[in-house]
Amino acid sequence: MKLVGIVGSIAEDSYNRKLMMYIANRFNNLADIEVLSIKDVPMFSEDDDQTNSMAVQYLKHRIEAADGVIMATPEHNHTTTAALKSTIEWLSYKIHPLQDKPVLVIGASYFTQGSSRAQLDLREILEAPGVNALVMPGNEFLLGNVRDAFDENDNLKDGGTVKRLGDLLAQFTKWVTVLKALKGPEAPDAWKSEDLTASGKTDTTIEGVEMEDPKWVDKAAEKTQAASGKDYVKLDSGVLTVDQINWFLKSIPAELTFVDDNNQFIYYNHKNPDTKMWAKRRPDQTGNPMSAVHPDVRNVHDHVKQVIHNLRTGKMDLFQLAEPVDKKNVKWVVNNYQAMHDEDGNFRGVNEIVLDFWPIVKKYLEMTGQKLVDDPNNKVDANASASVKDDQGSAPAAPAADTGASASVSEDSAPAPEPAPSVDTGASASTKDEETPAPATPSPAPVVNTPTDTGASASVDADDAPMPEVDTNASVSVND
Amino acid sequence: MKKYIAIPGTNRAGSTNRRLLQFIKHHFADKAEIELMEIGGLPVFYKTPDHSLPAGVDEMVAKIDAADGVIISTPEYDHGVPAVLMNALSWLSYGVHPFADKPVMITGASYGMLGTSRAQAMLRQMLDSPELSARIMPSSEYMVGHSLQAFDDEGNLKEENLVDRLDGLFADFETFVDVNKNLVYNREHAMNDIRKLDMKNENK
Repeated sequence: MKLVGIVGSIAEDSYNRKLMMYIANRFNNLADIEVLSIKDVPMFSEDDDQTNSMAVQYLKHRIEAADGVIMATPEHNHTTTAALKSTIEWLSYKIHPLQDKPVLVIGASYFTQGSSRAQLDLREILEAPGVNALVMPGNEFLLGNVRDAFDENDNLKDGGTVKRLGDLLAQFTKWVTVLKALKGPEAPDAWKSEDLTASGKTDTTIEGVEMEDPKWVDKAAEKTQAASGKDYVKLDSGVLTVDQINWFLKSIPAELTFVDDNNQFIYYNHKNPDTKMWAKRRPDQTGNPMSAVHPDVRNVHDHVKQVIHNLRTGKMDLFQLAEPVDKKNVKWVVNNYQAMHDEDGNFRGVNEIVLDFWPIVKKYLEMTGQKLVDDPNNKVDANASASVKDDQGSAPAAPAADTGASASVSEDSAPAPEPAPSVDTGASASTKDEETPAPATPSPAPVVNTPTDTGASASVDADDAPMPEVDTNASVSVND
Repeated sequence: MKKYIAIPGTNRAGSTNRRLLQFIKHHFADKAEIELMEIGGLPVFYKTPDHSLPAGVDEMVAKIDAADGVIISTPEYDHGVPAVLMNALSWLSYGVHPFADKPVMITGASYGMLGTSRAQAMLRQMLDSPELSARIMPSSEYMVGHSLQAFDDEGNLKEENLVDRLDGLFADFETFVDVNKNLVYNREHAMNDIRKLDMKNENK
């Protein structure tokens, strides 16, 4: 379970932050808690709308991606802080990320009262119509006399308090789970919220350069003073120059395209002119929003939205789409849309890998002395295949084994089907989820249909394919 | 003639709370000298390690100190006092205490019909905190609902009932200000509490 912690104080030495950090570290067995800062959030002002500022957008995305929120409030003048109130005002003005979000309110204070009034006010504020958070009822946690509460390692001294906090967190994770079950399956048209125009922002978005500027790469590089040429870059398991990274990426026998989590196309391994590419890209397109990369003809944009939505929400890690096989055993080009995640498991974009698998198959046959023969029983058209994570609980089996053509890369990594379906069908599979007791959650109506016989690969043209939901059977050209 | 500071609890140019205070200023021009004081533009409050105050706060403190009382008109955002007003009150009680023992009258205007009742209750609770220790006039809730339609072109309140009630409350407020001057114990008591709080904060 993923939670975010918001501390109401922006003071440097805040006891509420100390409390939140303690909770995040001590109870990481119960939930993965990311502590967010509201330090850079400007004072709310209707006349100076800064909903699109980095600080507000960052909070929005983090809260939206989380299953629940913990708020720790100090008490100033018998109420919560102006900084936290201002933040909530931004988050209830043009955007509403706290809507239906489970929230746990806690607080620490210098005196015996322990922020009781601040917490009551905060609860009332969170329940205001524009905010509409789901504050966990009861379970008040007040930490009074905080100056004496922590030891020199910032651990809570009192064992009873630690136990009470642990119980509280366990209670809250249950509350989150119950609310999720109440909400029922995701709306079938949830994918429509994917913003292909990339009008939002993520924490890596380069501001101040028009996305559709043909010189986006140069201008964005200048703006960020990007490393280039012989500059060294430290990677997680190596150090390379920018030149070396380029050589390395271009030598990979596939077309690679990087689309960030804001749906902006920000890189491809440019080794051939677009005329010689399977998925045609030009350097002047880099920086474009997805909507500009894919023409909105037929239902292309809808299909792109569906695919990205499924990758973003963890319904799949990989979506594969084969080009039509007009001539067998000459080439077999497959577009692979691989979700990318950061170290914390947050969706960070899509790696599109366009690859001709035929040389690999051919080599394999040569080296093992085998040949391909038609299977008289097989009905597979083999144009498209997709893998759906097993933890959906609804798709009993991975694509049938007899359809050799639908080998899915992510099968290896997908966990084996578990007897108890994981509660969290939306988020990417997390081992932490499995520690919470699995309630009898009805498994959501699968938006992605994994065909058990994978036989129904439909026509290549989207025109005819009925497409209210993502139907991975239908293959459509999402490239231009 | 008494002097009052009138604070619109907003940083919005078109605020009807400011309009209400402007009306009060003109309506009672022959009874009191009322000056509007803006509280927007201050940085988000945090406990500055050296207890310094941002520019503008000292001036606000001086104005409130010199006034016989304060009238605050608050909008309601998310069931509460707007952050910008909370923020100003935080700065105006951080090592400085212009509100201590200062008579305060609360009004509020809102577009809807609920008329800031929750924000006013929260504001009372805030002004009653030890760091602020204001003397809020009791039993005097004054709300203007549907505030966009409440004023005529000259900025006058259209509804007679609302004006009558305001006249009555303002007369009471003037009496309240006088009475407050005689409440010696409470004043001493509040100042003592505040001194203790400041010392505790210093020792942190």
